[in-house]
Amino acid sequence: MFWRFIWGAVRLRRGRLLLAFSALAVAATLATALFSVYSDIERKMRAEFRGLGANLLIAPEGSAQTVSLAGVAAAERLGAAAAPFLYTVGRLNAEPVVVAGVDFSRAARLTGYWRVQGARQAGAAECLAGTAAAAHFRLSLGSRAALEGAPCVVRGIVETGGAEDAQLLLPFAAAASLGGFQERASLIQVRADGRRLDQVREALARALPGADVRELHAVAETEASVVLQVRGVLFWLTALVLAVTTLCVTSNFGALVLERSREIGILKAIGAGERQIGALFLCESLLLACGSAIAGYAAGLLVAWWIGREIFSGAAVGVNFAVFLPVLAVTLAVAAAATLLAASRIWRIRPAIILRGE
Amino acid sequence: MFLRFVSQSIRRSPRRKAMTVAAVALGTAVATAMLGAMLEVGDRVNRELRSLGANLVVTPRSTSLPVQIGGIDYRPVTRENYIPEAQVPKIKATFWQLNITGFAPALHAAATIEGRRVPVDGVWFARRYRAPDGSAQETGLRALNPAWHIRGHWVEDRERNDQARECLAGAALARRLALSPGSVVTLFGEPFTVAGIVSTGGEEEDRLYVRLEVLQRLTGRLGQVDAVQVGALTKPEDEFARKDPARMTPAEYDRWYCTPYVSSIAHQIEEALPMAVAKPVWRVADSEGRVLEKVRGLMWLIALAALASAGLTVWSVMAATVLERRTEIGIMQAVGAPDWLVAALFAAEVSVEGAAGGLLGALAGGALARWVGRAVFHVSAGMPSLLAPLAVLVAITVALTGAAQPLRRSLALDPAVTLREGA
Repeated sequence: MFWRFIWGAVRLRRGRLLLAFSALAVAATLATALFSVYSDIERKMRAEFRGLGANLLIAPEGSAQTVSLAGVAAAERLGAAAAPFLYTVGRLNAEPVVVAGVDFSRAARLTGYWRVQGARQAGAAECLAGTAAAAHFRLSLGSRAALEGAPCVVRGIVETGGAEDAQLLLPFAAAASLGGFQERASLIQVRADGRRLDQVREALARALPGADVRELHAVAETEASVVLQVRGVLFWLTALVLAVTTLCVTSNFGALVLERSREIGILKAIGAGERQIGALFLCESLLLACGSAIAGYAAGLLVAWWIGREIFSGAAVGVNFAVFLPVLAVTLAVAAAATLLAASRIWRIRPAIILRGE
Repeated sequence: MFLRFVSQSIRRSPRRKAMTVAAVALGTAVATAMLGAMLEVGDRVNRELRSLGANLVVTPRSTSLPVQIGGIDYRPVTRENYIPEAQVPKIKATFWQLNITGFAPALHAAATIEGRRVPVDGVWFARRYRAPDGSAQETGLRALNPAWHIRGHWVEDRERNDQARECLAGAALARRLALSPGSVVTLFGEPFTVAGIVSTGGEEEDRLYVRLEVLQRLTGRLGQVDAVQVGALTKPEDEFARKDPARMTPAEYDRWYCTPYVSSIAHQIEEALPMAVAKPVWRVADSEGRVLEKVRGLMWLIALAALASAGLTVWSVMAATVLERRTEIGIMQAVGAPDWLVAALFAAEVSVEGAAGGLLGALAGGALARWVGRAVFHVSAGMPSLLAPLAVLVAITVALTGAAQPLRRSLALDPAVTLREGA
């Protein structure tokens, strides 16, 4: 009897229920999209900061001029990206020039901000030239740089606005043999996950007693504070949007119950208890909420995916199944609260008056 | 008659009207707060990103190539090119002067301490200077690098004093030479007191910083500067910004010139200082742009979601109100009121409700935005004054749209049917 009643209510009042259903589904969609984005935002924002390059530096300690290459392996074992750099002075056309040794394949993850014309990497007997160096020595793509001890063909012109502009960038091995270094680097740049920065720094400092492991404060702190601020704003805005949506759904459900005062009057007249009627309505709403949550979740994932693609170019916000449970919970809670709030009026409905048509 | 009808309808059922107004106010408040927070967050993040340090570096136009590793010059010094210190404040006379948050001129030299060459920079720490518009302003390394950690204190160099022998020492250098705040180090034969130890994580940690005028005196390069670091609030680069300004049409050039791209600010600095080249520091400028772009995109999206949900609320409340008053519409129709009059009556009522709700909402939204600003950014954000009237207008429009569809449906029904149902 109970279920027949509910089934009848769904079938006979399709239009009105559809309205309530879509309101709830919109709420669930918003909740899914916002939860997904919110749970992923920190990772996404931190990924954007990867463009800043290293956030840790392994530099020589004390009077030493170089550090051991062991730091690269140590950092990579800790899950960080690391690249050694080597600086020496070479001679080109009888003039001194700074020669940088770069492990191009490792450095690629740390030098995304380099503006390069031509190739970003140089192989054996090849090199890249900084813009100022290229202009000074009249080097262009494909021309030969007659560097004493390591002549090379220029494969790319690099512009960074920093020291690299005045340097000649050689593969690490070539620069090491030119400068007479063995298994040493001038410094090692490390990019660690911003959330594990302190951990990585301490582990590296323990593993490399002869080196000075420094945190680049400006990078690390700016990253942390921007990520925190964006997350904070997102949190409050998400909460606000959900609150408003909840109110909207509540008013919708309230109207749904009020419209049915006659029906409630009849139910009461034929002897249904208030609890029974309340349970009936609640059951109906929760069924509706389950359906809306599923539909809204699917739509929300689509929205979140689209947000990821549009805003965080390429890296789509991952399909996050963990989000479903909170969304379901929120939707059910909203539906239940809305129904119960409206149902408190059931108690006040007096069949005789309602049925008389007043 | 018309006005009496509207005012009576509002007076008769104050509770229901209050509910409607509250719903409209709520929707408007959220939308307003959201827009306020959105406008604010881009600005805040932009300023926050400035703690990354300079995003532009100005150096003298030079024919020779610098041969420096870690601040030490590896070539016999030939200093034919420099920027005159007196010209540096002209950076603040460019078109985008308000976007330039700070700048710091520096002179590079090297001193020998305990047998090793140590780079020494002469800089402004927080110097008061006269801007080209005549006002007194203050800027320097300190304003440019809020993320630097100082043990001890900064050098106070508000006024020029080329006899003040104070310096900041980089943390790595301080460890090597066993320096701490208060110890004395000899530079160019003169004793300097270490005011503070600076740790940044970068190559600044291997340097010494002294006042600009002191280093000028010690190196005999009075009034000369080797580089100026500039921090500027910029607009993220887009396709247009990457075009070559030399190949733009005059209209495009004007647009480029009047947009605070990092490249156009660099161009304007070069116009102000013809003896210098200004270059973006891509490491900072690039990621700054990317982060800002993402944040703005994100905020637009959330604002859109908020507007949608606020609109939905207002719309559904309006729809519910009209449906509830179907009987009333039926009676009016039955006593001979034409459809347009009924519609006008409802439109007037809804407009009043929309205006009242919108006004309340705009006020509450302003407060809400300020609160979010304080909670997240620790500053209270001012609300753009244009937002309030705009919010009221939008609230009225949304309310009218929400009422239109159910009103049309109710008017289309036969009054006889509506009245008999009594619902």
